Amino acid sequence: MLRELKNKIFILYLLASAVLILLPLAHILYSVFAYGLPVLIDRGLEFLTSARPGGIFPALFGTFLMVSLSSLFGVPLAILAGIFIAEYPRSVISNLARPLMLIMLEFPTILVGLFVMIILVIPMGTFSALAGSIALAIVMLPYVTTYTEQAMRSVPENFKEGAYALGLKRARVVFSVTMKMAKRGILTGMLIGIAKVAGETAPLIFTAGVTWRAAGGINEPTGAIPIWIYYLIQQPYANYHEIAWGAALILMLIFLAIFLPVRLMMVRT
Amino acid sequence: MDRFKIFLLPSVYLAFGILFLMLITFALNSLPIFEREGIAIYTTNIWRAAEEPENEFYGILAAIYGTIYTSIIAIVIALPVSIGLAIFVIDVAPKKFRELLVILTDIMAGLPTIIYGIWGVFILAPIISKIMIFLYENFSFFPLFSYRNPTGFSFLTAGILLAIMVTPFATALIREAYAAIPQVYREVAHSLALTRYEVTKLLLGYIKPAIVAGTLLAFGRAVGETVAVSLVVGNSFNIHPSFFAPGYTISSLIANQFGNAFAYSYMPYALFAAGLALFFIGLIVNVTGVVMLRRWKYA
Amino acid sequence: MNAIEIERLWVKYGNVEVLKGIDLEIPKNICFAIMGPSGCGKSTLLKAMNRLLELNPDTKISGDIRLFGESVFRMDVTKVRREIGMVFQLPNPFPHMSIYDNVAFAAKCNKIAKNKKELDELVIWALKKAALYDGVKDRLKSKASQLSGGEMQRLCIARALALKPKVLLMDEPTANLDPTAAGKIEELIHELKREYTIIIVTHSPTQAARVADLVAFIYLGKVVEVGDVNEVFERPKHELTQKYVTGRIG
Repeated sequence: MLRELKNKIFILYLLASAVLILLPLAHILYSVFAYGLPVLIDRGLEFLTSARPGGIFPALFGTFLMVSLSSLFGVPLAILAGIFIAEYPRSVISNLARPLMLIMLEFPTILVGLFVMIILVIPMGTFSALAGSIALAIVMLPYVTTYTEQAMRSVPENFKEGAYALGLKRARVVFSVTMKMAKRGILTGMLIGIAKVAGETAPLIFTAGVTWRAAGGINEPTGAIPIWIYYLIQQPYANYHEIAWGAALILMLIFLAIFLPVRLMMVRT
Repeated sequence: MDRFKIFLLPSVYLAFGILFLMLITFALNSLPIFEREGIAIYTTNIWRAAEEPENEFYGILAAIYGTIYTSIIAIVIALPVSIGLAIFVIDVAPKKFRELLVILTDIMAGLPTIIYGIWGVFILAPIISKIMIFLYENFSFFPLFSYRNPTGFSFLTAGILLAIMVTPFATALIREAYAAIPQVYREVAHSLALTRYEVTKLLLGYIKPAIVAGTLLAFGRAVGETVAVSLVVGNSFNIHPSFFAPGYTISSLIANQFGNAFAYSYMPYALFAAGLALFFIGLIVNVTGVVMLRRWKYA
Repeated sequence: MNAIEIERLWVKYGNVEVLKGIDLEIPKNICFAIMGPSGCGKSTLLKAMNRLLELNPDTKISGDIRLFGESVFRMDVTKVRREIGMVFQLPNPFPHMSIYDNVAFAAKCNKIAKNKKELDELVIWALKKAALYDGVKDRLKSKASQLSGGEMQRLCIARALALKPKVLLMDEPTANLDPTAAGKIEELIHELKREYTIIIVTHSPTQAARVADLVAFIYLGKVVEVGDVNEVFERPKHELTQKYVTGRIG
């Protein structure tokens, strides 16, 4: 009967969808290991600790430097913004900010890089780790703010009321009571933001510059792993491609090391 | 206004003023090219860099075309797959696998895009290239297949890669909405003697706004993606209907051309104008998607 | 022939026994009330009849339920649910669909009507049967979410009737309605029981007394007493029944 046939085809479609997307995704993860692991094994620890030839230490250092700096700039700002939106949800700004946050979550990150290039790189006359960090901070902002706001809002009212009843001022209540209870959610947001920016390439192209160096100060062009991979892929040498796979594996491991614990922690809540 | 609020206010303004600052910055920095070419920057397909500033002329129509073309391919593939996967995870997959599938999807949604890029260049493009050559040699009368010497770096490859990147995100949104449908409606639908297919069709109608919003947001993501696309789209100024033709997207144009832009007088401004276009496309699509989602959630 | 016969029905959710050996005979074209305090398995009993319990994989069912002599477990489940319709406690028309579509959708899928014209007639017929047509005839295309609670419930009845069932299950259909709306539904039941077999679950003994011809009193998953409504209320055979109908328990 046609009706039963439609039903069977439907189940087939569901299975086909699952396979159609899970297969490439699994293959991507597999490929990174399959092509990257031999490179790591081949070159050993040197891969991580040396600069040229063939090592990615500068890029590694650059990533670490810029992610740290961007967290330094971005996290406190984002948390404060998140607190504001949670504490004054009816103000005009909050009502504007909430949808704006969601919009910025998926905004083209290359535009962020372009923006920071205009306001920082051109005046400074050079690519720099500073510019890169600021670009990453902007990308991180919506994530940390969203999670902070949600975490603050989900603290049960009676705890806050109890604190106010004891005569504590607003700032005190927020920082000593509400934030402590929202700690987990805020931390989750931070880590998700960090995981995200550690893997970003586009914001860095025009800010930190495409370079393998990570020599000096924060006002010099600085490499980062994603940028480095991007550069290596476009070179014609097979040797460079190998390094690219190895670096991709390192990047994926870094990402998973931050993201996986956070995500698994979210399961229990 | 209490002091606490005043203390917090600057951070909020800073955090969200950035979007407006961006708009203004791009607009101001595009002025020179608007003054020079007017709307032709968006409506023509020319890219003429030259030593003498008078001879420069830029039009990013090809990039706009490519952005829309690749994103549409991405959505056409991603939408049915996202919906199918969402239903699969909730209705078909055994309970123990559900959390695993969800976590896997979330990982892929957050995975650094350069990893998609490296896989796209070294693995996806060669496979597509073989398929393209076969299709071209046998079916080149079909306009979508008609491009000589397909290399594997094309609109189609970019579209497929984007589809793979965008699906985890879209499916998460649809899945959450589908799972949140009150259990009563599922029971009622079954009690009306409907097959699983019919029940699902009915329930999908219930979450239609979420599906539309998810599509828009996914489209917004596809539109803004840079590195993965620029590695497989071919990076050439080409307006051609064929899947197999190489082309440009706005984001890959910016990424690709900025290296040598400062050697010329007007190219940087042209690229800022491209950025402005991308800004508006991204803004409109994301705003519509977010507004739809919120209005539906609070209905 | 009885409309429904239930034989030694046991239902377990995981490790919890909800129904412990139910035996019932429900004749056709009457209103049969199942009453008892909350949480005693009345809804579960109803959902066993149209095999809705199967939606939850943790449910274990044993025993038999027969619809006009045929075991429902041996019938195609879609056919069972066509013959046995259901109305739920909380009025739940599909809010994103119009009044027309709410009634028509399942009827169309089940091919109760063969073309658009027949479908239109079916929808009007079902709405009239549910005493709703006059109230909504000029706004059939408007969304079902705009109706009042009582109207919504009658829409749900129309929706179920459109499948031309023989039995109609009603799980506390007036529990969430105001007294006026509830009264209208009870009137409707009096009308419908001439053509259909109505099995109604209620936690209000007085409602059972108003609408039913036969009643069964269920307590803690077992049938305590069954019989003619007047008999059970005026001369209950079991002490528990007496306590329930006089309001001492429940």
